[in-house]
Amino acid sequence: MSVEEGETGDERVGESGTDETTTDETVADDPVESDGTAESDATDADAGTAHTLDGDAILRLRDLDAGYGDLQILSDVDLDVADGEYVTIVGPNGAGKSTVMKTVFGLTTYMDGTVEFEGEPIHGLAPERIIREGIGFVPQTDNVFPGLSVRENLEMGAYILDEVPEDQIEAIYDRFPILRERKDQKAGTLSGGQRQMVAMGRALMLDPDLLLLDEPSAGLAPDLVSDMFDRIDRINDSGTAILMVEQNAKEALRRCDRGYVLVNGENRYTDRGDVLLGDEDVRKDFLGG
Amino acid sequence: MGTTESSIVDSARARPGLLLVALLGGLLLVDLAAKLAGLSVGPVGGALSADRLGSNLWNGVVIGLVVGLAGIGLSMTYSILSFANFSHGDLLSTGAFTGWGVAFLIAGFGDVPVRALLSVRDAGSASAGEVGAHILSTPVAVLAGLVAAFAITAAVALALDRAFYKPMRDRDGISILIASIGAALVVRYAIQFVYGSDRRGVTASVDASNLAFGPLGLSVNAHELTIVVAAIGLMLAMHFMLQRTKLGTAMRAMADNKDLALVTGIPAERVVTATWIIGGGLAGASGYLYVLLRGTIQFDFGWLLLLLIFAAVILGGIGSVYGAIAGGLVIGIVFTTSTIWIPSDFNEAAAFAVMITMLLLRPEGLFGGVSTA
Repeated sequence: MSVEEGETGDERVGESGTDETTTDETVADDPVESDGTAESDATDADAGTAHTLDGDAILRLRDLDAGYGDLQILSDVDLDVADGEYVTIVGPNGAGKSTVMKTVFGLTTYMDGTVEFEGEPIHGLAPERIIREGIGFVPQTDNVFPGLSVRENLEMGAYILDEVPEDQIEAIYDRFPILRERKDQKAGTLSGGQRQMVAMGRALMLDPDLLLLDEPSAGLAPDLVSDMFDRIDRINDSGTAILMVEQNAKEALRRCDRGYVLVNGENRYTDRGDVLLGDEDVRKDFLGG
Repeated sequence: MGTTESSIVDSARARPGLLLVALLGGLLLVDLAAKLAGLSVGPVGGALSADRLGSNLWNGVVIGLVVGLAGIGLSMTYSILSFANFSHGDLLSTGAFTGWGVAFLIAGFGDVPVRALLSVRDAGSASAGEVGAHILSTPVAVLAGLVAAFAITAAVALALDRAFYKPMRDRDGISILIASIGAALVVRYAIQFVYGSDRRGVTASVDASNLAFGPLGLSVNAHELTIVVAAIGLMLAMHFMLQRTKLGTAMRAMADNKDLALVTGIPAERVVTATWIIGGGLAGASGYLYVLLRGTIQFDFGWLLLLLIFAAVILGGIGSVYGAIAGGLVIGIVFTTSTIWIPSDFNEAAAFAVMITMLLLRPEGLFGGVSTA
């Protein structure tokens, strides 16, 4: 029993969770049947190990080494996110998934390699600069200012602008209508799902080209998880590229365009989400199948 | 009724301390009423007139506002920079000396040597009476001194930050706390070096400086009234700044969650700079006002006052600006009304007893958990 398997319990309430959960225990014996949503030619193919895209990518990591202080976590990580793409990083605990994301955002110790965003190197820049480049980040926990109202939380997301962008606040209220109702309420008094909306809204205030999401389903009640994934889908549909780390790996891979499997701070597999889901080794080793 | 009684019994069982404190408070109130009625039931304290109680309460409010104003900066540096600033008291002294230097300069220019005026010295060269600084006779000088106290202390606080605290920004709170004790010593003895160590009078006495408040039956000193108006004005400005401006919102955000402020793009150093300017400025202003209240000045008064300010801030819930104000008022009122029962030599002890009782019953303080910078 791995940690991941326990957590897949959350999926039972997901809209496409029914076939998934019934096959959880039998997956290792019959990988082909396991993924009803995958295309048939993908399910029995081996997951790929080409970690880079041929075409243009807005985010491009090459041979990236990074960690915390003297402790190196990532070694030679390659990763691409194309414009408007939805990419998920999965892997066992301690694989360095969140570290990749934090390194992109300038929150770790950069050691070697490159991080390019829209053609410009951004490694070694402070988060304040990286925000200006067009990347938004939603941390895993404590991702709202509890003592500030919902509206003030959103305003802080646009701190670097001279004026509060009212139209953007309205756009976020339109996206998450409950926030308009609660706009004067302190964020600390909101439910977990509403806080997650405030956190995402805050990160979307500058209309970023790339949104980094660190474990967005962490701490959410199981029945809210699929709503949250739906919201991420809609953000992606409106053109924002997503790079996400998610403990709920099966659901994340089902939803995303491409997935990266990271092990011990190194690339292991990279492929379309449905291909990774259908791959026997990936399922057995990382998805608790 | 039955349920109410049983819930009272239950809570008394769960928190016997609260019951004891409530009993003691009740006894004091009964004793207070008896004293006012002219009866002698309690074992301590003599007779008490309504006038004396009124003036005790008023004095408590005045001291409380000064302490609360000083506490705002202490609470802000605690919540935004995560350390208890032991040099805060000496910022009060800084504001008092520099502010009164400017007030003296304006009030006594031409009559007294400038050097004696700027160094707030009476011995030998100029006496407080000669300079004649008083809100009624030289209002411009007194108000200009207040502004100067704010501005100069803000600059000193910022300089201390750049010299001592900024290089230590990533260290833990204890290391910076120890450094702040060092900074306190530097400031205190720099003040002693420049201004001397003698205690001297500052404000002049002016005839008919008491303003009568008929309806309240109070006779209020003009300086006390100045303090109350200035302190409340500064507190309201602070409230407006925190709640209505982008900078204030960013300060509250940083007090809430520094890591999130970082990934949100809030420029931490700019917020820290503003924190020192505002917190230091308010400390300087409150030190200046404290001298206006006491009428005398000496180089280490801020340091001696620091414990009381800490008591107020902790009582109110450390980290909360509004808690600092509320805590200051409670400490101030306890400070002055305790003299009804105990000798005034012990009134600081009474203030600390209230603080400790408060911490035992409500460890997070009056405003704890309500995080507002």
